Amino acid sequence: MSTAKVSTVRPLTFTQPKGKTSAFARQQRNWGLFFLLPWIIGFFLFQIGPILFTIFLSFTDYHGTSEFKLGNFNFVGLENYQKLFTDPQALPSMGVTLKFALIGIPLGLIVPLLFALLVNSKRLIGSSIFRTLFFLPTVIPVVAGTIIYSGVLNAQSGWINLGLKALGVADPPRWFTDPFWAGFALNLLAVWSVGNAMIILLAGLQGIPTELYEAATVDGANSIQRFFYITIPMLSPVIFYNITLGVILAFQYFVPALLIGTEVGNPQGSLLFFPLHFYRQAFVFSDFGYGSVLALVIFVITMIATGLLFFFGQRLVYYASAER
Amino acid sequence: MKRYILLLSVMTALALFAVACGAPAAAPTAAPAQPTSAPAQATSAPAATLAPTEAAPPTATEAAASGEPTAVPTPTFPPPVSTGGEGCAPNSQQVSWFVGLGAGSNPPEVVKEKAFVDKFNKSQTEYCLLLSVVYNNGQNSYDALRARIAAGNPPDIVGPVGKAGRASFQGAWADIQPLAEKAGFDLSKYDPKLLDFTKDEGVLVGIPFALFPSFIYYNKALFDEAKLPYPPHKLGEQYMGKPWDLQALQDLAMKLTVDKNGNDATSADFDPKNIAQFGFVEQYTDGRGVGAFFGGGLPYDPKDPKKAVIPDNWKAAWKWYYDGMWKYHFMPTADYYNSDQFGKGNPFSSGNIAMAWTHTWYTCCFDVQKFNWDIAVVPTINGQVTAKLHGDTFAILKASKNQDAAFAVLSKMITDKDLYNIYGGMPAIVADRPDFFKAFDERVAPNKVDWSVVEEMVNHPDLPNHEAWTPNLTKNNDEFNKWKTFLDQTAGLDLDKEIDALQQRLTAIYASAPAQ
Repeated sequence: MSTAKVSTVRPLTFTQPKGKTSAFARQQRNWGLFFLLPWIIGFFLFQIGPILFTIFLSFTDYHGTSEFKLGNFNFVGLENYQKLFTDPQALPSMGVTLKFALIGIPLGLIVPLLFALLVNSKRLIGSSIFRTLFFLPTVIPVVAGTIIYSGVLNAQSGWINLGLKALGVADPPRWFTDPFWAGFALNLLAVWSVGNAMIILLAGLQGIPTELYEAATVDGANSIQRFFYITIPMLSPVIFYNITLGVILAFQYFVPALLIGTEVGNPQGSLLFFPLHFYRQAFVFSDFGYGSVLALVIFVITMIATGLLFFFGQRLVYYASAER
Repeated sequence: MKRYILLLSVMTALALFAVACGAPAAAPTAAPAQPTSAPAQATSAPAATLAPTEAAPPTATEAAASGEPTAVPTPTFPPPVSTGGEGCAPNSQQVSWFVGLGAGSNPPEVVKEKAFVDKFNKSQTEYCLLLSVVYNNGQNSYDALRARIAAGNPPDIVGPVGKAGRASFQGAWADIQPLAEKAGFDLSKYDPKLLDFTKDEGVLVGIPFALFPSFIYYNKALFDEAKLPYPPHKLGEQYMGKPWDLQALQDLAMKLTVDKNGNDATSADFDPKNIAQFGFVEQYTDGRGVGAFFGGGLPYDPKDPKKAVIPDNWKAAWKWYYDGMWKYHFMPTADYYNSDQFGKGNPFSSGNIAMAWTHTWYTCCFDVQKFNWDIAVVPTINGQVTAKLHGDTFAILKASKNQDAAFAVLSKMITDKDLYNIYGGMPAIVADRPDFFKAFDERVAPNKVDWSVVEEMVNHPDLPNHEAWTPNLTKNNDEFNKWKTFLDQTAGLDLDKEIDALQQRLTAIYASAPAQ
């Protein structure tokens, strides 16, 4: 005769009445909010507040040379937004930014990935030295780096052109004085400082379980197949992160363009990036109303681009730990 | 225990708050597009001051506002400085003096200005001079003055300020003429040309104070090496048996332009892609300044300010300038101008330029003692001699509530030798010039510079001045800066077509100028 065992011990579970949180949980939540409070205050004061004020300014004709008082903010409706459609430099400057992004983002991904693969290779002697050398440009301040680069790429005395001439190139590019080459020159400058991306990709590479490669090797996969079927999928979260940041930074690209092309985007507007165009309107011509519109355009376009990236990109990203 | 935890938590929260208030947006750690370090502060580059700070005169003036941007942008500026009336007699009338639209805002100059104010206040009991200095980076000091005017707290005296600085506040300056007559101040002792120069749109807004005429700096070593005589120091003198005119200057500049193989620009073997030395440069100027080499002018019709009319002499000047770079190769293009070999934007200082046309303030910017140099008169062009002029004065704001008192103080300032020495400009009063040049001689020794050239050139200012007011001035200056860079950077232009296009753009700019 068998008897079913019936447990007579009540499980040690605490069931909360529906809709009510315990005093302890509330306390925990409140302490959490308390510690988050400084950041939240700062966020609203110094991030959300200025964005809201920018939206307000975009509906006024406030001029930067007028006193900062309520009487000088005259409401002009959508006049500033209408100006956007008649501004002869709005589209070209957006074109400059997009051209830079279309070249710079892939370069900013492929080059550090190649560096990371190189540095991660067991066959490389002195990989830590290479890692340091590739990372070093990142720690140089952007202004100093740009000024150095303007010398390096000078058409007459820059050592890149001197090297090209030594290799037999009779007419090397006039990097910062030819509108065709100026944008590429800034892409080169951006590639010079991919050390940070390289380090992150390297960390991602080193996090890929080696068993996967061993299993693939046993199954007969060659190195290229292992790269595309293991490395890239496993690195996809890091790649996605880099692409997202690259898009955001591309739409904010400003300091090197200002230093090289000044606020007019020389040569011939080829370096007049959209943020630089915004800067000109707001801080050179003091037209804060229209400048605010341009700032909001950057904000909206960046949000849309990031949103699209997340929408489509998440479908291509493989998270080893997540259930999909 | 609970109390200590609470105290620690509060302190941590405060610390986090302080960090949150000071922290920028989180910097991304991966930067495919640009480095991740904090962005440098932007500067208004075309107005960037070119002169390094110097303790001894001369120093650069707001003339640098029309020059090429070559200085490295500096992320921090000296804070504003104010004096509070120390040393003033009780019940003396307060007169405020604002410095920031031209020279005078560098720290070594501020020290001397404060000493002057102290000296002035202690030397008399009627007035109390209050100094207010805002560092001039081409933008913030202008904004500070605008804010004060808008707030109903305008300073009485502004200066030193030149044409360009005053043009940014066009219409804001008091007419000095009636104030001078009321005070019994004799204006007839000033050269009428200089008084004309100090007029803005026909109104005398200041008394000529410090002048910075232009002339030709020349590198004697390069002339000696080429075994060529130095250019003339007196108007009317000939050069190598021929009149010192534009063609003579060009011929000389071409002989002094040499490639890496030693061929000069007149030689059939000259290689313009490998030039080691240039004969001439128009240094630190803008599109209007280049035009002024061929005479003064205005880019608009004074009878119809909404219409751009580029003077014919400017068109001719630009064509000569452009050919000088791209056809005859005796002037550096932008690539050469900014290269290491030619001083990275300060070409005459590199020692590889034989002659440079610029102003007295340029002595700030090269080694005046080590260089073997002197100065020459500008050539006659189309029967006319034009030496573009920069000049500083002290002006009184129309909004000032103490114009009579301001003029009384101003009339003492413009004749004070201490102030001359601070700003390094040539005194407008002829009798004060010997001491000025004596100080200059000490500074440039062992060089012996012929300062009579300076005194001669001041008699040939460009009228109207190349820094005069135009409608929509900021956009106008922006356009002329772009124009000069365009000429410097671009070969193969059809200049007639480009000048027409420039005129159309200027017309659009003037037509959209806000109402005065």
